[in-house]
Amino acid sequence: MQKKTFRPKDFMMNYALYLIMLLIVIIIACISPKFISLRVIRDILTQSSTKMLVALGCMFIIVSGSADLSGGRVVGLAAVVSGSLAQQAAYANKFWPNMGELPVIVPILASVLVGLLVGACNGYAVAKLKVPAFLATLGMQMIAYGVNCLYFNKAPNNSQPLGGYKESFGNLGTGSLAGIPILVMIALALCAVVWIIQTRTCLGREIFAVGGNPNAARVSGINVFKILMITYMIAGALYGFAGCLEAARTGSATSSYGLSYELDAIASCIVGGCSASGGIGSVPGVIAGVLIFNVINYGLTFIGLSSYWQFVVKGLIIIIAVAIDVRKYAAKN
Amino acid sequence: MKKKALALLLGLCMITITACGNTAGQTSGDAPAQETQGAATEAESAGDGAEADAPAAGSAVAGVVWYNFADTFISNARQTLLNIGAADGTITITDADSTNDVSTQTSNMNNFFTQGVDYLVLNNINTGAISEICDQIQAEGCYGIFANTDTPSDEDFAKNDKLYSVSSVATQSGTIMGEALAEYWQAHPEADRNGNGKLDYVMLLGIQGHYDTTVRSQYSVQALEDAGIEVNNIGGEIICDYSRATAQEKVAALLANYSDDIDAVIACNDDMALGAIEALKAGGFFTGDDTYLPVCGVDATVNGCQAIKDGTMLVTALNNPVMLAKSIYKVMYLTNSGQEVTTESMGMEGVSVEGHRVWLDYSPVTIDNVDQATYDINDTAF
Repeated sequence: MQKKTFRPKDFMMNYALYLIMLLIVIIIACISPKFISLRVIRDILTQSSTKMLVALGCMFIIVSGSADLSGGRVVGLAAVVSGSLAQQAAYANKFWPNMGELPVIVPILASVLVGLLVGACNGYAVAKLKVPAFLATLGMQMIAYGVNCLYFNKAPNNSQPLGGYKESFGNLGTGSLAGIPILVMIALALCAVVWIIQTRTCLGREIFAVGGNPNAARVSGINVFKILMITYMIAGALYGFAGCLEAARTGSATSSYGLSYELDAIASCIVGGCSASGGIGSVPGVIAGVLIFNVINYGLTFIGLSSYWQFVVKGLIIIIAVAIDVRKYAAKN
Repeated sequence: MKKKALALLLGLCMITITACGNTAGQTSGDAPAQETQGAATEAESAGDGAEADAPAAGSAVAGVVWYNFADTFISNARQTLLNIGAADGTITITDADSTNDVSTQTSNMNNFFTQGVDYLVLNNINTGAISEICDQIQAEGCYGIFANTDTPSDEDFAKNDKLYSVSSVATQSGTIMGEALAEYWQAHPEADRNGNGKLDYVMLLGIQGHYDTTVRSQYSVQALEDAGIEVNNIGGEIICDYSRATAQEKVAALLANYSDDIDAVIACNDDMALGAIEALKAGGFFTGDDTYLPVCGVDATVNGCQAIKDGTMLVTALNNPVMLAKSIYKVMYLTNSGQEVTTESMGMEGVSVEGHRVWLDYSPVTIDNVDQATYDINDTAF
């Protein structure tokens, strides 16, 4: 054990992501001081919430050494399914014209169920059929989108954007309790649950083990098939729930929802310190990864910077953050 | 070895993507075609009496390439066209989805050429290659109809007599938003919220370079300036990809900074306008008369019209998908039976013909006429 001395260089390496985020906030606040306000913090946290769930799901997958490209389309499918079950009885363009109003728990459970189902298919294809994860989930991405379009195009809806949600459902996405948006509370609660699963349970450690070295995990008696199935199903459930919240937040849903959310999620995870080769990743890192992208998205629009520049800045952040992160591990080795 | 495996994997990936793209286009085209044929026999006997004055014509096959099935407007037009084809039976409609991708569009077109279709209806997104596409259609010898997109040039029309275009006057959608906003601005002096004498607007764009986005943003502002209003843009180019969720996020961010300055939101479609309205509601707008903010959209979707009724959206422009589908079918029907395509022979309100160009009018939808702003995709009369 080496003696702990404060080295500025190490500190900057270890907390590079947070420092970059702080720097961005400071620059934006210099341009427009109104940026430092409760309202901005609340907005950013709300916008991050659904993306946080997708990223948390994605983190499980990445930590287990796998990949998942189906996330975004599962969000879309779950958004449409939950939206179609959450409409008011009196709404003129109901998806299911003869169905009465359902309790708000039904669309929520339905969306989670959809996610679990897709996750199970993903897991089976990867762990049992041994299809490379990248391809298996690409296939599932297409299937989920296709199924979504078919469902969404069902008469009498014919691909019309859904609307007319029950108030209780809409509140999930837009309501707040004691000034804190419900979305943010849900996201925080799930972050806590995921953090506990990951660091305080056998399952969490087994996922790390499978991601770090699947052969070693197998030899030491871990059922890799079971772990991968569970991993994909947890991720699927999180994507599904995110879709439900996305529908509630926007007050609508179409088959184009969730497009490329999985790539944002993967980027957030990697920027947040997950190792692309598996075995490394933490909830606080992912939270920081998601937040930094949303701070950039929100902040650059806030100061009126053109969308074209936003892409350039986002791309730069990904490369810089990961470049520093790689150095951190290289230095340790 | 690793590199080879990676290359192989990538190659496989590409093949999968292309293969899936093609199959998707094909199956969705095939299924309706079968329905069409099934229904055709029923329709023929019924149609004979009604269409007695029309010259007898053989049946024909049309291949329709839409830019994106997931687009609400396209999906309505597509369904209407399939319905009309099934009910009438003269033209068999098969269609394919370009999934908003130029190369998929090209594969779909070639696929239809290989099948030997009599009509190629193209909802073109490869707007840089219109002339080349016209040449290809001419070489194949089939009819070409450009639907709801940039029309080919006069030279292209001069070369090929079997070339038509059916399209809405896209610029009108922008003008309608601009004019409605100008009217509101002039009638409500309090609409200048920061009192700078300028109309401070936020412009929500769809996809960069997308024809509709370009003309809608340009002509809406043009109409305001033509009405003698000084304008000021807030937030620059805000690209939202026609997405409600993105628009909601961007407007929330702008509101946090410019809440007291923004006088109006102009959105290039209804979904983005509705996203903006959600963000405005969260920002304390639309809670009473003094917290109104004009938001303009285009498309007159069901949710858009509902927002007009609710009093949150000022105006939307109706680009009638049923009228588009009917016009496409009518052009095919007329040419198939050797008749000329003119404003009279088209015989539809809001449809005018200029040479081989068929123009469809946009109509403004406001609180005053929102109840009439409906269309029925099951309406198969043409």
